[in-house]
Amino acid sequence: MYILENTMLKKTIIGLGLSATMLMFSGCVADAENTTKRAVDGGAIYDVKDGKYSSYYVNTQNVGKYNKGRVATPTEISAWDIDVMPDGTGLPMYDTKHGKVLLDQNGKKIVAQGSVELGNELYDAQCAMCHGDFGAGGKGYPTLSGGDINSLTYQLQNPADAEPNEEPPRRMIGSYWPYASTLFWYIQDAMPFPHPKSLSNSETYAISAYLLMENGVEVDGEEMDEEFVMNREQFLKIKMPNRDGFYPNVDTPEDPAQGVRNITNYLNDQKNYGAGERCMSDCIKGDVPVLRIKNELNDFNPPASTEKSLPVVEKSNAVQPGQEAYENSCSACHGNAAIGAPVVGDKDAWEEVTSKGLDKVYHNGINGINGMPPKGGNMELSDSEMKIIIDYMINSSK
Amino acid sequence: MDKISKISDNIESVSTDTDTTSRRDFFKKTAVYSASLVAASSVLSPIKAIAGDDTAITHEAEWGTKLGKLVTDNLYGLPSPYEHNNIRRTMDLLSSGDMYASVSMCPIHESEGIITPNGLFFTRDHGGTAIVDPDKFRLMIHGKVKKEIVLTLDQLKRYPSVTRTHFIECPANGSTGWRAPQLNNLQFMKGMMSSAQWTGVLLKTILEDIGLEKDAVWMMAEGSDNAGNPRTIPVEKALDDAMIVWGQNGEALRPEQGYPVRLLVPGWEGNLNTKWLKRLEFSDKPWHSKEETSKYTMLQKTGKAVQFFWPNEVNSVITSPCPEKPWTDLKKGDLVEIQGLAWSGHGTIKHVDISFDGGDNWKEVSLKGLVLPKSWTRFSYIMKWDGKPLLLSSRATDDVNNVQPTIDQETSVVGVESVYHRNAIVTWEVNKKGEVNNVHIRKHNA
Repeated sequence: MYILENTMLKKTIIGLGLSATMLMFSGCVADAENTTKRAVDGGAIYDVKDGKYSSYYVNTQNVGKYNKGRVATPTEISAWDIDVMPDGTGLPMYDTKHGKVLLDQNGKKIVAQGSVELGNELYDAQCAMCHGDFGAGGKGYPTLSGGDINSLTYQLQNPADAEPNEEPPRRMIGSYWPYASTLFWYIQDAMPFPHPKSLSNSETYAISAYLLMENGVEVDGEEMDEEFVMNREQFLKIKMPNRDGFYPNVDTPEDPAQGVRNITNYLNDQKNYGAGERCMSDCIKGDVPVLRIKNELNDFNPPASTEKSLPVVEKSNAVQPGQEAYENSCSACHGNAAIGAPVVGDKDAWEEVTSKGLDKVYHNGINGINGMPPKGGNMELSDSEMKIIIDYMINSSK
Repeated sequence: MDKISKISDNIESVSTDTDTTSRRDFFKKTAVYSASLVAASSVLSPIKAIAGDDTAITHEAEWGTKLGKLVTDNLYGLPSPYEHNNIRRTMDLLSSGDMYASVSMCPIHESEGIITPNGLFFTRDHGGTAIVDPDKFRLMIHGKVKKEIVLTLDQLKRYPSVTRTHFIECPANGSTGWRAPQLNNLQFMKGMMSSAQWTGVLLKTILEDIGLEKDAVWMMAEGSDNAGNPRTIPVEKALDDAMIVWGQNGEALRPEQGYPVRLLVPGWEGNLNTKWLKRLEFSDKPWHSKEETSKYTMLQKTGKAVQFFWPNEVNSVITSPCPEKPWTDLKKGDLVEIQGLAWSGHGTIKHVDISFDGGDNWKEVSLKGLVLPKSWTRFSYIMKWDGKPLLLSSRATDDVNNVQPTIDQETSVVGVESVYHRNAIVTWEVNKKGEVNNVHIRKHNA
């Protein structure tokens, strides 16, 4: 049975290889035992029947409108509605803040645009400390470049294959992401990590352009150079290399609901993603193939234990001046050995830092040093606040 | 944040590692870990070490001969100090360079029933745990709706509420097992899930109130935290069983679960249950956010990836015994209850079968306690252990007749680079001493 089944499943894979789209329309396999209505995910739907939703009793009173809350104002909506869709919905034309378009000295709207060169500068100042130079990663945070679309068929050491591959697929922005809009939106909304939502739309265009260039993504079939200026118009010309790398197809503008139906059709059939079988006896012909752990991962924090004993009480410290600001603005790098910045608590590292004198430490913190941008990238901190933070970091490392 | 590449990076280095020094380190670590387990079981089963009368009975207990703690000592109660090991745990491998974008694993090996205590609920943050001021909380609902509204927390809570028990599971739960077993610890193998009794308003109630445009097919939910974590779900799910919740096991949500309000999308990827909710937008198009393109998509052998795979599929695991809760205190011939958890994002658990021989032969076992849709369901089987080694597996079936697959049934279809949605059967190897180890039953010799 086992062998037969594997052969059958291999055929499914071949089918998938020939045409991924076929799968989307393969539809629901009729299930003799189950004729009930299916949910959007192919699962069960439970209607309210006799005052109950499955095992739960429900209040079935029929009432009018609740009319809670109030109508949102247009400015409120535009302040929060900064998401960007693949078709350009939400992709900004102008720099905006607090839901309003920003104006220059002459009262003209400031066009949102940024060059690759500016993006490179911003990246080096605010992103490279985590993501590495040129997006090369290697410091514990996600790598942003160096993908390879041809690697997406690799299955790293897949023991189920006859010839396991030793190379992993490299899923980076340029090799995997289907839409550039995702990059712009994410940077605008959630980066830089320690103080997101601080970049202007223009700065986000610049950083996006720089990262897309590093990923070898072209605009209208042409490579970007340092002088290239990204804006809404240019951005909409980008077609990501892996644009067609995903299924089921959900982008069905002619019939919006068709996209959802495509997914329902896929999810309805468990064979698309690994169906089990309720075999009860003699299910494995021959020896039971047991694979044991070869290299155990167990760097758990705290270490695993089920012992029931009184804990060792550690003395607690009250919050010290500078501690909160340190945690908000500095710890992403100085609390993480992988970054390379002196780690708070590392006595030797901080002895070396302070050996040049306290004024030098203040100076470096305020003006930046090596991979660290001025004030760690948080320009909202005053010089005196920086000194309090630095004092805290030094005192915590003695 | 980049959990996926971390896992594959690690696997890459581990699988090619033949350096003898690190091998030695590995054995050293394993020895420490095993020793702690042995110590733990001797603490838990002192009876066999006692000859004659037990002084725990014959002598007055220390806590019975003096006054206890004041009723006013903990106005918000805490677990017994002896339970300090029943905690969430983290692992650098599953973090993104720090503990802001990270996951803490629920100690499901200690879990009782089908509810996770709020302090032990697994936590996945993308930019730290936000502490939201409830007075400044606003929920905006806009886009393709008839009336675009803003709600305060008090206004939201004036909608009629429902209370339901649902698990939340990260679809990366179990993802370290795609190629081979790597963890010998249930907490880390399956602890990216927890379960609670949630209270809130059905999204349907609000949407029927304000009205949807005809072509409102998709809904995007966004949080107010550092990362926002926007995700798209179909309106069909929003009108089925999705909820906006503020209550978790009888109290306000914990900050780690999105205080004051989160989206609850029963049975679907944990990542869709947006915490610190601030905005719901409706559209005729899906958004393609970072968490539904660069992540939460499953690369197949063809080099194409499956997108918008929402439900957590039918699944189960035996929680007793498990590597942390072995049978080392059992004697040959002892009766012992095998129990575990089964769950399905597609519906309600219908059957659980267990096998003692790694899946060659199966036996249907009892479900135990409440059996609810998209909820953890307990199963139980009492056996007499003859002291012989076992390969103990469980397999769940849900009410749409989806059956939990074997490892080979799953990987032969989807390969091993999916990262998410791994629901293959888990097997424990119980040896003669009663120690329990994670093994894979799969036809290959990696």
